[in-house]
Amino acid sequence: MNTVSASRAETAHSSPVRRKILVWDAPVRVFHWLMVASFAGAWLTAESERWRMVHVTLGYTMGGLVAFRILWGLVGTRHARFASFVRGPAVVLRYIRGILRGEPEHHTGHNPAGALAILALLGLTLAITASGWASFNEIGGRWPEKVHEMLASLMLAIAAAHVAGALFTSWQHRENLIGAMISGRKTALPEEGVRRAWSSVAALMLASVLGFWWLQWQSVPPGGSLAQLPVISAMARQHDHHHD
Amino acid sequence: MNHPTVIRYLHAALVAGAVLSSVAQASTPAQLLADYSARAGSAPSPARGRALFTAPQGREWSCSTCHGAVPTQAGKHASTGKAIGALAPGFNAERFSDAAITEKWFRRNCNDVMGRECSAAEKADVLSWLLTLKP
Repeated sequence: MNTVSASRAETAHSSPVRRKILVWDAPVRVFHWLMVASFAGAWLTAESERWRMVHVTLGYTMGGLVAFRILWGLVGTRHARFASFVRGPAVVLRYIRGILRGEPEHHTGHNPAGALAILALLGLTLAITASGWASFNEIGGRWPEKVHEMLASLMLAIAAAHVAGALFTSWQHRENLIGAMISGRKTALPEEGVRRAWSSVAALMLASVLGFWWLQWQSVPPGGSLAQLPVISAMARQHDHHHD
Repeated sequence: MNHPTVIRYLHAALVAGAVLSSVAQASTPAQLLADYSARAGSAPSPARGRALFTAPQGREWSCSTCHGAVPTQAGKHASTGKAIGALAPGFNAERFSDAAITEKWFRRNCNDVMGRECSAAEKADVLSWLLTLKP
């Protein structure tokens, strides 16, 4: 069932029957880019109380997204499932040794090093959301905010390593991994693809996120200075327009 | 355990210790006030601190917008509407009990109120005024 395509680069690239197939379903891709946008936004709004509601909203959004992703990792399509990409340390070491020797293994789904980064990012998101929630509600004294900041810095470092790894692997295999996370498609053997994109699930996720943002927006007190920021009021106008 | 392993464990323990001690900077409000005054090189002024805290400093918010004019009870966050625990140490033992946390909040809040970080003298002034507020 879970055959991982770990073939040597040279054989993987010369096979004539390889063609563009769907590897990442829509929920995986929408989750990925919502996480990117939310993490970037939360990082940029971390320093000012004016942006506190945006920061908190983006944090809770990430917590919710990861909860969904864990579920999708159990019931989603082939390459979205933890069982297809979570590997032990021996496999990760073998993968890294392959890269160092200049004979990198090719994986159609997540490679073992990428999988490690994914697990770290998922786990960190849950811990950062929990500690952020505790800080916001002034529960547990000063430790939650210290933990929150340290883990957020660690998450930024791992996200940077994840991006560097994706760029490096793209170059090493002459394969656009960033494009694949947008289109969902890669050049591979047809039997390695997934049958359905599950766009309905992705649409539901996106609608839930936008709905949550709208609810949070409604909860901002009317006199709140946030509403008077030009960017925010412009966003609100656009948002209202969208829902008319 | 062979020699390099022992060294590695010792090293890990040292690093962990350094991290923990830099994180847990337990302090008292009086110690922090003494530190800020020493860095400012002058005696703190509670009157100046009160003025700085209460009046807007060129931007929309003053400290008192969220903390209240006399921060001996809960304030209200200007953009989230959430309650903020009393700021005066005499009314909230958590306040000014950790150097790193105190620095962090001075940095964030001074930026929101003044558009810059506060000087050591300004921090000393504000803290000295807060310490005059007693139950």
